Amino acid sequence: MTEATTGRPLTAVSPPSIEATDLSWTYAGRSRPAIEGLTFRLEAGRVLLVLGPSGSGKSTLARALAGLVPHVLPGRWQGGLRVGGLEVAETPARLLGERIGLVFQDPDSQLVMSRVDDEVAFGLENRAWPRPEMVSGVREALAQAGLSGFEQRSTVTLSGGEKQRLAIADVLAARPGLLVLDEPTANLDPPGMYAVFERLAILARRREHTIVLIEHRLEAALPLADEVLLLDDEGHQLAFAPAGAVGREAVELLERSGAWVPRAWRGAQPAASGAVEPAVERAASGGRAIEAGALLLEAADVRVEYPADESGKRVALDGVSVSVRAGERVALVGPNGAGKSSLLFAMAGLLRPADGTVRLRALPRDGEAAEPMRDPSRLSARELAARIGLVFQDPELGFVAGTARDEVSASARAIGGRDGTSARAPDEQGTDGVLASFGLGHLATEIPFRLSQGEQRRLSLAALALRPPAVLLLDEPTFGLDRRGTEAVLALLDERRTAGQAQVLATHDPRLLPACDRVVALDRGRVVFDGSPDAFLAAPPYAPASPWRDGVALGRPAGSDPAAIPRRGAR
Amino acid sequence: MSVLPAPLAPTRPAFLTRTTPAARLVAGTAWLVAAIVTLDPIVPARLFLAAIVALWLWSGLPLRRIPARLAPLGFAILSLTVFSILLSSANGDRSLATMAQIGPARITGPAISAGLAIGLRVVVIALTTLLVFGPSDPTRMADSLVQQWHVPDRFAYGTLAALRVAPFMAGDWATIGAARRLRGLAPRGPVARVREAGGRLLVMLVSAIRRAERLALAMDARGFDSGVRRTHFRELRTNWRDWLTIVLSFAVAAAALFVAR
Repeated sequence: MTEATTGRPLTAVSPPSIEATDLSWTYAGRSRPAIEGLTFRLEAGRVLLVLGPSGSGKSTLARALAGLVPHVLPGRWQGGLRVGGLEVAETPARLLGERIGLVFQDPDSQLVMSRVDDEVAFGLENRAWPRPEMVSGVREALAQAGLSGFEQRSTVTLSGGEKQRLAIADVLAARPGLLVLDEPTANLDPPGMYAVFERLAILARRREHTIVLIEHRLEAALPLADEVLLLDDEGHQLAFAPAGAVGREAVELLERSGAWVPRAWRGAQPAASGAVEPAVERAASGGRAIEAGALLLEAADVRVEYPADESGKRVALDGVSVSVRAGERVALVGPNGAGKSSLLFAMAGLLRPADGTVRLRALPRDGEAAEPMRDPSRLSARELAARIGLVFQDPELGFVAGTARDEVSASARAIGGRDGTSARAPDEQGTDGVLASFGLGHLATEIPFRLSQGEQRRLSLAALALRPPAVLLLDEPTFGLDRRGTEAVLALLDERRTAGQAQVLATHDPRLLPACDRVVALDRGRVVFDGSPDAFLAAPPYAPASPWRDGVALGRPAGSDPAAIPRRGAR
Repeated sequence: MSVLPAPLAPTRPAFLTRTTPAARLVAGTAWLVAAIVTLDPIVPARLFLAAIVALWLWSGLPLRRIPARLAPLGFAILSLTVFSILLSSANGDRSLATMAQIGPARITGPAISAGLAIGLRVVVIALTTLLVFGPSDPTRMADSLVQQWHVPDRFAYGTLAALRVAPFMAGDWATIGAARRLRGLAPRGPVARVREAGGRLLVMLVSAIRRAERLALAMDARGFDSGVRRTHFRELRTNWRDWLTIVLSFAVAAAALFVAR
């Protein structure tokens, strides 16, 4: 391979500085720039944390640093961005790619190969490394990511945290000077997140790379940062400052733009829920302090098995008992593979337990006797939809109609009248009223797939509003949402809960727990904790416990902390 | 929450796991041609025996799991064979002796033979495919095609990346179905069912395209197809086992075709 001599850094590239001068980028087909007028200078070997709400152009900045913008994606570039003295817009993508490593959010759509060592070698092959150097490069990169000994493993058998560390090994192998990480832990459970941050902390300490980190898990990310770049929801720069010296005004602007803000900057006292008074409600498990409504859902001794390979059956749930009452919000937590999704599916009657029972019923109407508890897997689709709903982590998979308006009316059309007998289609006025109350009024004729992540999430909730089910199950309901999006979802859920709806939220985000009445924790298919959020956060039933405690920032249940929710002015 | 069975992979090193995929592709083609060019059941029957021996002795695959993996296909083969026998035109030929009588259906010897030939042929195709693709993972197949046959990188590794997306599509399909049931959508009647399946398919395709876009961007970010001639982490060279495999498979195919019966 004689021509294969292009930039093959056999020794580590020294970390570059980054200099943006009035940088703007507008994607082709968009009228508004994704980022506008960014101007900052990050010195070589420093760690930059980028903060901003959804739509602030954080990912666009990451793509620009890697040269994907403007070299791969179409659009309009203005201003300057220099990485280690190279002007990004004028440097071939290939040269940039050799100096920059980019890690994305979704572990399942950035791994290419089916075996771990092939996967790490893929980027080196593309850059024409000679074979002997590839072999040592793969070994070193896996060691740096804490994956030594994983060489022969199949990538599909890795956990989410392992996959993301593999993605980090992938980019480290090519010895880039600049590492750009775009929400690398967003898809991970707390232990996976913890392991990734452990590796990032080691890399940050070594100062061998300039690091740009985009993260929502601020309590873990902030301690790593030297500098922070704050962006607002229109891609404008609010501030660029040392992590410890961000101006009061900039923090307020950031907060008002709807972004998550680190606890330390809010000047608030440490969250009351952490490590204080562990024993208060530890004992209580079933009936709790809140006014307990009618029993709506009961899972008793549920066992769920999946067919595995020749080794036999894999048990997803083993003897799980959970009951949920009207007006109650239960958080379902646990590491990946603990059985959260299986429990949600069993509760919704989508899979029938091998053993044990699931029973549910509709919310009793005023002055009427409650209906008997019924097995959801034996109900018709119409009866089921009137009693239980499930909002998936990826709202797109749940869309059934061609416009937002039809999406909202679809369930009501299918279920018919309130009692599930008379087929009474909803009028357009009612439908549009729902859209308006979910902040989607201007999008009635839009195709659901074209909405933003936050809008899609609200639409998936709006779709259940005309005939609200008695029990609502939600899988990671705030995934990918900024603080404003999260609060909007919680406000909508609060309204339903007040009307008696029971809600079960499967989540990895400890920030949501204080907004719940109860926490049910699963581990390897068993319930290991059932009690108050305070008790859970004081002593998480996992080892190590700290990943499950970090990042508690949202207010107490029932919106007792309104001061923390400044609304942006009318827009 | 994967419901897909684990892929069939070699559990021990064996003769065929040390051959290159390109060589197995050549060797397998010989058997496929031999199985297809004849109409009688003798040739596919001989190849069937040869394939069993090869799987057993040289493939390194866990034999006990093969029947379970081929079971869905087995049902198709069985019905194909039965219908071929029942519907054969030879059954209408009055000059042929009746072998069996099932109600109004009369079955003749040539009909049975033709039906068996069709069924056995599909079995041979399935087992040969297993012998070609089973002993190494798809990555090795792509490596082999690129290094030995100079297939373009873009095509070989692009296909490989697409294969990675496939299992997620299966999961999406199940999730989409569940979501629709919970929205109260239970289609009644064939027209409603077809429309329902169409809607489901559309959602799955949208999701698959999104995923493919993300994967393509990730591959670009790692310098794939950037105009540099790639080097190879795992080098594959045609070796003596390849030649032996090819020669033997051609010999077996010839013997199955031409040895007097």
